[in-house]
Amino acid sequence: MKPAVFLILPLIMLSSACDTINQLFLKSAINSLHTSLSANIWQVLKFVLRLLKYPRVWFGFIFSLVSLCLWLYVLSQADLNLAFSLDSMHYIFIALSSKAFLREKVGIKRVSGTILIIIGITLVSLS
Amino acid sequence: MQTAMDPEQMFKKKLTLKILLFLAATDILETLTQLCFKKSVFSAIGLDSPGLAGLGAVLKTAFSSPLLWCGFAAVAVTFIIWSTVLSKIDLSVAVPVASFSYILVPLASIIFLREKISILRWAGICFIIAGVIFVSLSSRERVKTE
Repeated sequence: MKPAVFLILPLIMLSSACDTINQLFLKSAINSLHTSLSANIWQVLKFVLRLLKYPRVWFGFIFSLVSLCLWLYVLSQADLNLAFSLDSMHYIFIALSSKAFLREKVGIKRVSGTILIIIGITLVSLS
Repeated sequence: MQTAMDPEQMFKKKLTLKILLFLAATDILETLTQLCFKKSVFSAIGLDSPGLAGLGAVLKTAFSSPLLWCGFAAVAVTFIIWSTVLSKIDLSVAVPVASFSYILVPLASIIFLREKISILRWAGICFIIAGVIFVSLSSRERVKTE
C-alpha cells in the first residue's frame, strides 16, 4: 500500500521547487509594489488586487497549481505527517533562492535556524 | 527584482508579534487546507495504481469532493494574509517561521485523523521550534546591525 520513499521524495521535491518558484514570483511582485500596509482591510484588499495585476503572480499561481496537484497525489499515497515533514526541505530552496534572487541577507542565525529546522525534519521523517 | 532599500523599509522587515500572529493564522488555515485536501483524497486511495493513470484517477475523485473546494477557499484567504505578511518581512524569514504548522499539523492528525506520532517525531518538532526561534532572532539582529 505505502510506496517507497524514493517514489515520494522526488515528487515532493518537485512540488517544493514549484512552490518556491511561486513564492519567489509573489515576493518579487510585492517588493516592486513598495507598499506599507496598515490594518485597514480595504487597503489590504486593494493591495491584493494591485498584486493580481502582475503577470508574474499568475505565473506563480500556475506553478502553485502544479505543486498542488503533485501534493494531492503525494497526500493520497503517504502519511500526512511524513509528507509534510519531507515537504519542508523547501526551506533550503527558499533560503538559497531568496539570497540569490531577492538579495535577502541570509546570515548565520538564519542559516543555523534553517539547519535546525532541517534536522527536525530529518528526525521527523526517520520515524 | 528588488531595488536598494531605504532605512525606513529596512526597519519594517522586523518580525513583530503582530506578524507572528498573522503567520499563526496562515498556519491554522494551512492546517485546515491540508486536512480538507487529505480528507478529499481519502476516497481516492483505494484506486491507486502508481504512475500517471493513478494520478489522474486520484485527481478526478478529489476534485468532485466539496471538501476540496473548502480547501481552495482556505487557500484564497491564506493568499491574502500571506501576501500581507510578505509585504512586511523577508521571504527567508516568513517561510521558516511558518513551519509552526509542523506543530499544528501533527496535532490535527492526532485529533482528526487518528494518526500516531512517535517520540522521535516529537524530538524533530522540538528542533523545528528551536530553528524557528533562531530564524526570528535573525530578523531582529538585522535591524540592529544595519
